[in-house]
Formats: sequence, C-alpha cells, structure tokens
Amino acid sequence: MTPPLLVAAVDTSSGWQTFLQYALIGLTNGALFALVALGYTMVYGIIELINFAHGDVFMLGSFLALALIGAMAKYLGWNWGEPAMIGLGIGLLLVVVPLFCAALNVTIDRVVYKPLRRAPKLAPLVSAIGVSFVLMNVGLLWGGAADRHFPDLVSRQSVLGETAALSFTVKDLMVVAITVPIMIALTLFVKTTRLGKAMRATAQDPLAAQLMGINVDRVIGATFALGGALAGAAAVIYGLYINTVSYQMGFQNGLYAFTAAVLGGIGNIPGAVLGGLVIGLARSLGSGYVGERWTSALVFVILIAILVFRPAGLLGSRTRDKV
Amino acid sequence: MSPASRKRPPVELLYLAVLLAYPLLVYPEDALFRLTEISIGMQLTYIFIYAILALGLNVVVGFTGLLHLGIAAFFGIGAYITGILTVPAYPFQLGFLAALALSTAGAALLGVLLGAPTLRLRGDYLAIVTLGFGEVTRFTLRNLEEITAGTRGLNPVPAPSLPVAMTVPLHWLGIEPDWSLDYRLFYYLALGLLLLVVVLLRNLEHSRLGRAWVAIREDELAATCMGINAARVKLSAFALGCGLAGMAGCLYATTLTSTAGPDAFDFNRSIIMLCCIILGGLGSVRGTLLGVFLLIGFDNVVAPILDGLIQGADINPSGNPLLTFSNWKLMIFGLALILMMRFRPEGLIPSVQIEAEMTKDLPGPRGIRAEAR
Amino acid sequence: MSRFLPPVLLIALLGMITLIGWQGSAGGDPELIKIVSSLPRTGSAKAQTDTIVNGIKIALAESQSKAGGFEIVYADWDDATAGAGQWTAEAETANAARAVRDPDVMIYIGTYNSGAAKISMPILNKAHLLMISPANTWPGLTKPDKGDPGEPAIYRPTGQVNYVRMVPTDDLQGPLGAAWAKELGVKRVYVLDDNEVYGKGIATLFIEACQDLGIDVLGHESIDSKAQEFKPLMATIKGEKPDLVYFGGTTQSKGGQIAKDMVAAGLDCKLMVPDACYEEAFIESAGAENVNDRCYVTFGGLPPEELRGPGRAFVEKYEQRFGGKPEGYAIYGYEAAKVALAAISRAGAKDRAAILKACLAIKNFDKGALGTWSFDANGDTTLKTISGNVIHNGQFEFVKLLGQ
Repeated sequence: MTPPLLVAAVDTSSGWQTFLQYALIGLTNGALFALVALGYTMVYGIIELINFAHGDVFMLGSFLALALIGAMAKYLGWNWGEPAMIGLGIGLLLVVVPLFCAALNVTIDRVVYKPLRRAPKLAPLVSAIGVSFVLMNVGLLWGGAADRHFPDLVSRQSVLGETAALSFTVKDLMVVAITVPIMIALTLFVKTTRLGKAMRATAQDPLAAQLMGINVDRVIGATFALGGALAGAAAVIYGLYINTVSYQMGFQNGLYAFTAAVLGGIGNIPGAVLGGLVIGLARSLGSGYVGERWTSALVFVILIAILVFRPAGLLGSRTRDKV
Repeated sequence: MSPASRKRPPVELLYLAVLLAYPLLVYPEDALFRLTEISIGMQLTYIFIYAILALGLNVVVGFTGLLHLGIAAFFGIGAYITGILTVPAYPFQLGFLAALALSTAGAALLGVLLGAPTLRLRGDYLAIVTLGFGEVTRFTLRNLEEITAGTRGLNPVPAPSLPVAMTVPLHWLGIEPDWSLDYRLFYYLALGLLLLVVVLLRNLEHSRLGRAWVAIREDELAATCMGINAARVKLSAFALGCGLAGMAGCLYATTLTSTAGPDAFDFNRSIIMLCCIILGGLGSVRGTLLGVFLLIGFDNVVAPILDGLIQGADINPSGNPLLTFSNWKLMIFGLALILMMRFRPEGLIPSVQIEAEMTKDLPGPRGIRAEAR
Repeated sequence: MSRFLPPVLLIALLGMITLIGWQGSAGGDPELIKIVSSLPRTGSAKAQTDTIVNGIKIALAESQSKAGGFEIVYADWDDATAGAGQWTAEAETANAARAVRDPDVMIYIGTYNSGAAKISMPILNKAHLLMISPANTWPGLTKPDKGDPGEPAIYRPTGQVNYVRMVPTDDLQGPLGAAWAKELGVKRVYVLDDNEVYGKGIATLFIEACQDLGIDVLGHESIDSKAQEFKPLMATIKGEKPDLVYFGGTTQSKGGQIAKDMVAAGLDCKLMVPDACYEEAFIESAGAENVNDRCYVTFGGLPPEELRGPGRAFVEKYEQRFGGKPEGYAIYGYEAAKVALAAISRAGAKDRAAILKACLAIKNFDKGALGTWSFDANGDTTLKTISGNVIHNGQFEFVKLLGQ
C-alpha cells in the first residue's frame, strides 16, 4: 500500500487506531459485497454465465424492503420505533425479501437463460445485460430517478462503549451478525447436503453429472434460488446499513461484487468471500491513505494486478482449457 | 458470401449511394427536420463515428473471440489525446490529421500495454480486466485535473482546416465551408473515414492475419498447433481494435468541439457497443454496421421523436413518469436484446462461420463447443 | 432482386417523406416566434427542471403567448438521455444545432448544467442566437479571470456576447458562504466536492475565502459521486475534528448520502451546502432527521416564502396552477421567460441579432419577480442576493441575507 499521506501528521498510536477504524469499516462493507458476490460466483460456477442482472435483483430487493417497511407501518400499525418490533420486523424482512429475490432469479433463469443453455456463451451474457436493463427500468418506474432515503432503524449506539476511540456501532454489528452466519450456513450446505453435492458435481462436469442421474435443471434452478436469496438478504442489510436506495445501485454494487467474485477466483465460494473483504478493505484504506476520489480506481488496479500474477484469482485453481 | 453473389454488383453500393447523396439533395433532410425536428444528417454523423468504434470492437470480440468490456476507455483515450494535442490551453495545437494519427496510435499502444500481460487470461477473466481498465481510465481522466481538466473536459477542439483547393468544389456543391454551421462537412469526413475502415477490414478479414484471428476464435489450441503464434495474433487484434476506437474518439471530440466529460466513456458505452455488434452479427462487418444503425439510431433518433410526439399530443399534462417515453427506453432496449438472443443469437447478418456454429445443435447441457470458446 | 428490395424501399420511403414534409409551411411562419429550453428532463435533475419549465409556462400564460405582435410557442427540449441519466454532450450539441437550424427559434433558454453551456454557447454564438440560462453558476462562462484561462472568450467565436444568465455566480456564493460560516463561529472546516464543474468550482472559491477570513481549512477531498457510501472518508474527517463540513455539490451527486454518513460516523458538526442542494429532494434523500438544525444552505436569491410583491404573486400563481411549492430555481425560469418576452417586444422584429441586441440593452428590468435589476457588460445580472437558510423540521427556513 502507498505510504500513509494523511496520517503522517498524526502521532503513531492514533495512526494505528485510524488504521483499525478503516479496517473495521472495510471489513463490514466487504461482508456486504461478499454476500452479493456469492450469488455471482455460484451461478458462474454452474453455468459459466456472468449474470449481469444479479445486481439488479439485489436492487429490486431493497426497493421491496423499503416498500414493506412503509406498508407494515401503514396497514399493520407496525411500530418501527420500538426495539423488539424493529428486531422482529427486520427478521420478517429477511424472510420475505430473500424469497422474493429467489423467486425472481429463478423466473429469470427459466424464462431467459434456460432456452440458451446450449448456445455459445455470449448469448446468455447479452441476455443477462438485457435483463439487467429491464430490471433497472422496473426500478426506475417503481422508485423514481432520485435517491430514496431508507429509514434508519438500527441504533447507532457503540458496542465498544461510548468512550472507546474506535467506532463500532450496533448497526455495524448487525451487518456482521447477519452476513457471517449466512456465509457459514452456505458453506456447510454446499459441503454436506445432497443438493450441495449435486451442485458441485454439476459445476465440475454437467454432462457427467447428468449421466450419474443428477437432474441438472433442478440443480441450476436451486443455484439461482440460492443466489437470489443471498442477494435479497444483502438488499435488506444494505438498506438498513447504507440508508439510501436508488435504481442505479444494482449496477455499482453488482460491479464490485462481480469484481470480488473474480478476484477470489470465480466459481469458488470462499474465494468470493475473500474477494469481497479485499475490496471492502481496498476501498476504505484507499480512501484513508490514497484519497477518496481514487478509491474506485484503486479497486480495479488491484484487480488487474492480482489477475496478472494469479490469472485464476486468489483462490482459484489454475485450470487448463479443456480441449 | 456465396460465389454467385460476389459477381453481382454488391447491394452495399446502393446504400452507400443513398448515404452519399442524402445531404446533397437537401430536400429529404429539410423535410425530415421539419417533420421530426431532428437533424437526421447530424445523427448519421454520430452513427458513422460509433460505427468505427463498433468495428474496432468487432475485430477483438467478433473476429478473434476475446471478450472486451472496456472499449469505451480507448474511445475516451482517443478523444483526450486529440484534446491535449489541439486545444488552445496546450502548446501543441496540432492539426486534425496529426491528431487523428496520434490518437489512433496512442490508443493502439495503450491497448498493447494492457493486452501484453493480460491476453493469456481465460475468457471471462480477460473480460473483467478490460472492464476494470475502463473504469480506471475513467477515474484517471476525472482525477488528473491538471492534464484533463477533470469533468469540465478539454475544449474547444478546433475543426479541421480545409485545404484551399476544397473551397471551390464545396461552393459548387452548396456546402458552407464552416464546420460548425454546416453539418455536412463532418458528415462526409466521418463517412469517408468509416469507408476507409470498412475497406481495410474487408481486406484484412481474408488476409493471413484475418484468418489467424478466426482460427484463434474457433480453437486456440488447434491454431497454435498449426503454427500460429497465438499471443502475437491476439495482440495484433487488440491493437487494431483499440486503435480504431481511438480514431473514433478523435473524430468524436472534433465533431463535438470538446472531449466531453470522462463520464461519456463509461462502462455503459462499452456495453452498448457490445450489444450493437452482437445484435448485428458477431464477426460480420455488415452486421456491425446494421447493429450500430439500429441501436444508436433508436437511442438518438427514434426515442426523441417519440418523446416529442407524446409531448406534442399533450396527453401527459401532469408529467406522469409512466407516460414519458424516455422512462421506458431501457426496458425496450433490454427486451430487444433478450428476444434477439432467444430467437436469433447469431445476429441479424451473421458471419458465415458463426451462423453455422450457432444453429448447430450442440450436445450436452453446455456443449463442448461452448467450452472451447 | 430480393437483395435490392430493402434499399429500394428505403429510397422510396425517403422520397415519400420528402414529399409529405415539403407540403408543410416553407421557411417558417412570419407571425410566429419559438422559444425553446434545453434542460436535463430525464434522470436525477428532473424535479428541479420540472419547476423551471413550469415557471416558463407561467410567464408565457401571463402574456397569452404573445409578444411584440408575434405569437409565441414554447418547446421543452431534453439534453439528458435515459441511458446516461444526466445531460450528455451529444444531446446538448444536437439541441443547439436544432435551434440554430429552425428559422422560428429566436431564444434558447438553458442550460441547467454549466458544463452543457460550455458546449452549446459557441454554436449559438455563431448564429447570434440569444441564450438565457436560468441556472448556470460557473463564473468562467461570463467573467474573465474568474474561470479557466481563455474563458469566456473561447465561447464567443464572434467576439460578441450572446449569453446572459439570471442567477448570481459562484464567485459570490462561495465566499459569502465562508463569511456566514465565520459568523456562525466556525474555526475549522473540512471541504468536500463532487469533482464536477459546479461543485469543484464553488468548493475552491469557498476555500479561498476561508483562507482570507482566517478559517482553518483542514482538508479538501473530491468524492466519486457514483460511490454508494462515504464511511471511511467520514472517519478521516472525524479525526480532524472540524466545526463544519462544506460540500460543494448537488443533491444528485450524493449530497444526501454525505449528510447521513456524517451522522452515521458520529460526526455531529455543521454541514453547509450550496444552492444545488436547495430543493426538497435533498432533504428527502438525506432523511430529515439527519439534517435538521445542522445543515446550512446558501441560495442565490430569496426563498419562495420570503418573496414580497411580484415574487409573492409568482409563488401563489405557481401553487395555484401546479399545486405544490416551486423549487428554488422555478423563479429563474419565470424570470428568463419574462426577459425573453421583453426582448422580443423591444426588438419588434423576428430577427435573432435584433432580439439579442434588445436583450443586452435591458436596464432596470422590473417586469419579473426578482425585483429591479440590469445586465452588466458580461451578460451577468446585477442582482447579488444570496440568502442563508437552515433546515428545520424537514423544511428550509430562511435565516438571513448574506453579505449585507
């Protein structure tokens, strides 16, 4: 990393503190990127499709969450001011929104990508771009062109005590407390269950998997459902954490998540998590030590550098093209 | 192209004749302007420029099969090189031809610098590297304010100087010798350059190099076994594609009299160009031209006309966003792409080889051929 | 022959269109004058430009669409595209060329973005077409030595002024904002901008004024307006312990996100933003609870509630006709259209150069809603009213006139 420019003026002990603060923010943001990246990587692992529409499924999920919060207050008299109700409400959102995103993702796969399974790779890729445009337009008509404020429901109380020099709030904790268990559960699911095994088999060789009696279509559907659900969960957390939603957010976040997936080695689940964390850290440390306006460029410079030296990503194994 | 059709006069010449005659006839342009309030001639100029850009991209993606998601960056690099070399704020103040040559060469050189270490990456990894490079370029243009003037863009980019010998024939054709007052000067400049590029690519396509590109696209391993130096062939395609993008960028900046802002060269532009060549037919020069004509024409001509009609009909006095055509543009665009891929994935005018591949029923859930590409 | 069918059809179609188009009126209607506006009508600036267009419509309705014996028609052009979500150089160029070409167009109202004006100004200048901007605040468009080298001469290829504007420029607003900050007891500021023409310009002017006034400028950063959040940046700023954060930028370039990320990072100092955030959409996107009583907004002109006399009447008319309050720039749209109508009446001829000359000669104009003012030699208004406002209870509340 470039030498600390801004912190140079501050003494060393607080220099460390600042560094830790950036790292905390970076890891929290990174956990969010990772959650979206998982959806990219799982779909890619199975059908080798860069699903450009994934970020927009995520965007629609956060619009749904925003609409639900309003509707629950209006029609159910939900009191979003009371801690218990907030907890329960967020729990509800974390069920409904992922279900919606999973259903949306599966529908997209069935209607758009499935007929193209045998076509060369560019055809589904361009379709995915097309789906992304359509979903973005739906978001535009649904939420309007301007940024929308997402209610700030989670407390900003520090979990480290009010006097602590580091700031780590309940809100930050929420992100970690929801994303980490989801990632662990996903890993266990893919490693241990029958369906998870079928997914791995299909990713390795779909033809052989089919010959072994695996229903490849069902496995692909399940992968899209799972990826969509992860995006839905990420959408709820994103809304609660960043507090702004807009119809363009899917594109930007999708880009980062996709980068994270590639960085870690696309198709590789721990790789996507690692990639997300690296990008989160690169952004926050870049903002702190290089300059805010260079952060996005820095993410991509790191990406290019890593791919030049490790052409299959951080955790990807080097495979030769099959002949 | 079948041998029989090669002997008959190619139909393209008829289109070319229409394009050449259109501005000189004056009446059609005036009539269209009166009906639509849009200068079709001026929009055609932009379409020619984008066509050069798309043809460059087609060399990389269509001929050679390398997925390039950052072509807009090279378009922007061409525009900014032109800006730096010509605007009054810099001491160079070169003429148009010098700027054109240097923009093309500069973009090609950067393409080689990016390509040399990364072209060995597998398909999708290369795609993300080019995408990343595109974003890095955009931010660099934005942030290196001392050089690029940030988001303000470099301006004014001067118009090309007309040779004195041209004034008489121009007068004879009824064209005013002022680039900003008469669109036809840029129109013919862009059309001329586009023609040059088309002829160049047509010749390259059937040359040794062109066949090597296609061989790499079809099967890199087999091509290497046949003695093709894959790295060098890929790099040449990359250099040519990026160079053409730079050339289009130079033309773009000169026509707009400004480099515009860095955001004019974002990922969106790359994606639209990619959609143009896929819609038209990958690897096919005629297809690329048609794709650009349809997609850019839709965005720049059809959409404003429809918006104007809706405004004029006054059916939307309250400004309801659902009744504004432009609010549905992305949807229409997206649906067109999806339907196209579903029913005609080889594009409207496909290249012969790609059509054969795309219509062949491939075995297995993913297909062995898909794997190799 | 089937291969030749499409081009032959194309030629036939062109011929038909030519015939149809040619039957319409030739060379324009001598009794009719067209006023056009070129503003970003799609994307994030739409809320603001809606009210500008409404302001123009009110002015035209007041005069029954007549001026100097001519019938006035108005067309609302868009210089943004749906794909970009903001103004584009191509759309602005096309609009300018379209205006120059249409023999009925005598006045071009626009642009909203200073960057767009830089592109259309030279084109319109060559055609001696009067351009009235209701919103551009970049000083370099009119004032020598206040912008980039060569400005504004590079926008005037004929050497003559054809561009006037209704709003006070940033070289007033930035420094007056700094002076107000000092009055508020601010000693340490951190300055952010959105890296756009407008935002960066005004932030730079703010910093210069701070240095003159002895306010400590702790740092200056440009943000990426497409980024989603600024938490690490806020951590940096928090470490500097400023009394005030100044953001040179707009609602669309993440003004709202800056406000809420400040609060999220526990940075509870004041925030000051310029006129481009003076709109309901800013409070909506920031969340009222994040800006109440800590966000200060400077604005060129008086807020609608504070207007008296003709200004008050305009606001009432607006509310009556369109329902809902006008945004800050609506009145400038109205004033621009009023000036346009006055210029046509004074010229009394359908002639671009004559109308331009009549407009530049306007002195002590009081037909509009802004009070009495004149154009100076650069085409700037002599009006220099900048107001200071604070957000209270989710509303803009007028505090004082700045610099008086």
